Amino acid sequence: MHAAITIWNKQLLKLSPEETFGLLLQPILWVVLFGVGMKGLIGQGLPSDDNFYISFMAPGIIAFSALGGAIAGGSIWLDERRRGIVNEYLVAPISRLSILRRNARTIVTTTLFQARVLIIVALRKGSAIAVDPIGWIGGMLLVGGFGLGFAGIALAVASKTTEPGAYHALIFLLNLPLLFLSTALYPLEALPRWMQIGAQINPTSYVVDGLRRLVFEDGLSMAGDDVLPLWSCFLAIGLFASLGMGLAYSAFRSAVE
Amino acid sequence: MTVTNSIEVRGLVKRYGDVTAVDGVDLSIAPNTIYALLGPNGAGKTTTISVLTTLTRLSAGSASVMGLDVSVQPNAVRQCIGVTFQETVLDDALNAWQTLDFHGRLYRQDRATRKRKSQELLKMVELEEAAERRVRTYSGGMKRRLELARGLMTDPDVLFLDEPTTGLDPQNRANIWEYIRDLKQRNGLTLLLTTHYMDEAEELADRVGIIDHGKIIVEGSPRELVSQMGADSITLVASGDTVRLAERLKTLTVVETVTIGDQVIQIGVDSGNRRLPEIIGLAQEVGCHIEDISLAKPSLSDVFLKYTGRQLRDK
Ligand SMILES: Nc1ncnc2c1ncn2[C@@H]1O[C@H](COP(=O)(O)OP(=O)(O)OP(=O)(O)O)[C@@H](O)[C@H]1O
Ligand SMILES: [Mg+2]
Repeated sequence: MHAAITIWNKQLLKLSPEETFGLLLQPILWVVLFGVGMKGLIGQGLPSDDNFYISFMAPGIIAFSALGGAIAGGSIWLDERRRGIVNEYLVAPISRLSILRRNARTIVTTTLFQARVLIIVALRKGSAIAVDPIGWIGGMLLVGGFGLGFAGIALAVASKTTEPGAYHALIFLLNLPLLFLSTALYPLEALPRWMQIGAQINPTSYVVDGLRRLVFEDGLSMAGDDVLPLWSCFLAIGLFASLGMGLAYSAFRSAVE
Repeated sequence: MTVTNSIEVRGLVKRYGDVTAVDGVDLSIAPNTIYALLGPNGAGKTTTISVLTTLTRLSAGSASVMGLDVSVQPNAVRQCIGVTFQETVLDDALNAWQTLDFHGRLYRQDRATRKRKSQELLKMVELEEAAERRVRTYSGGMKRRLELARGLMTDPDVLFLDEPTTGLDPQNRANIWEYIRDLKQRNGLTLLLTTHYMDEAEELADRVGIIDHGKIIVEGSPRELVSQMGADSITLVASGDTVRLAERLKTLTVVETVTIGDQVIQIGVDSGNRRLPEIIGLAQEVGCHIEDISLAKPSLSDVFLKYTGRQLRDK
């Protein structure tokens, strides 16, 4: 644990003002450019209270920020491998796994940070948010688990390749269906059958619907009748997080040996 | 059990797929010695160090550092070594203080120790003034010096330096040599370094191992190695039948070694000054025209040439 925290601290130490600003700005831009823009496009037939759409969109945006965080975390690891910085860790008397733990921790921290910023932005935009603290904690657990799962995939890919190009191409390829083949942008019932199936096996749908149930309650009405049940959200995200970390673990082992 | 040697390697083999990078290396390095592995590109120097520093697993043989087997107790080995890598491995977003402090924390040094060691080492490598600047703004020599300081942060018993001075200007090289000598004197360190530079090995090392194609070809103190070559070395550039000249030279009893290159003949003799006239006379006899002749004390370059049949690309 000690080594993981030490390496994680170094990452924070390196965080430049520009990076912090970027991390803050990213979710805000999502809401403003994407959320508001999309509302103009498809929100026209909606009930007059147009804050519903922000509440409907917010969970999806949180999920995509988590993807962004995971991609960035994976590329830090890739960069350290390429530049040999990882060798400094490998000749030190620390557990190999602490290096992986550090990476996962960095990703989850930024993800949760962005999720919080986003909720605040959504609030300011007039979205009504559940005040139930249990709901909030549950929501953060889901976001954290989702971040961890995707972090696992990104770290696994970053352990298998040394080419930044290959890494980004592969991650981008994974990213698109995760984004569009989910309930993040449209209610499940509005989708054609094959997309419904896709959305139901996509972890993004589970984090998004879970957040709708726990935090952004007023987006629920827009999401239709088919919002995924809460227990399935926790189950699916739990599985996804374990799967991601399992993948990362085995890829990581082969990379450091 | 008392530790007799700081580094003990027996029949070390490391294969990467079809490539045998290290092919049966034996090393016994006594405490408080500077040992230089001297060899051309691809000889297996870095691979040997990677095995000893627990970065890579060995394929066969055994290796131990301070009596600890690298395969059995890697973490105990890591605790007592310091390493600088062939490539610069520095996080260039950190400054020198942060670099050393982070390193100390990885090894669980307390705050007071980290501060004391950083101060002492930055002073030693003369980076105090630049210590607040990010590493990205450092010159190559400054980076090397900082890496050396980092390797010493945790008071290792054995320090590994993979090509510590490659790419540095003469002044920086001389500085690094001075630190290395000083470290051996004051801290009782054992140092294993690799180099392509003959002069570096000659200057610094108590013992030199010449490594080529994954094997140690010859080993000894620089003086022992050089003295095998005869007391003096005469280099002759001549036109004409140089092969015949070399044949004749070999028959002289005062000549100890003869190596013939393109038009160059290298002759090891017992005492150059007295033998020069004889050799010139012989050349005239066989009808060779001497274009240049020089006399020098033999060096490790001559040793290398003798054992590998090749010139080490040395600057
Ligand atoms: N990870 C690896 N995978 C495959 N082959 C490798 C690997 N590392 C080294 N080799 C091969 O092993 C041999 C020895 O390499 P090594 O890096 O030990 O040489 P070296 O003596 O350090 O050379 P240099 O002076 O260029 O640094 C080379 O033929 C190299 O191509
Ligand atoms: Mg090397």
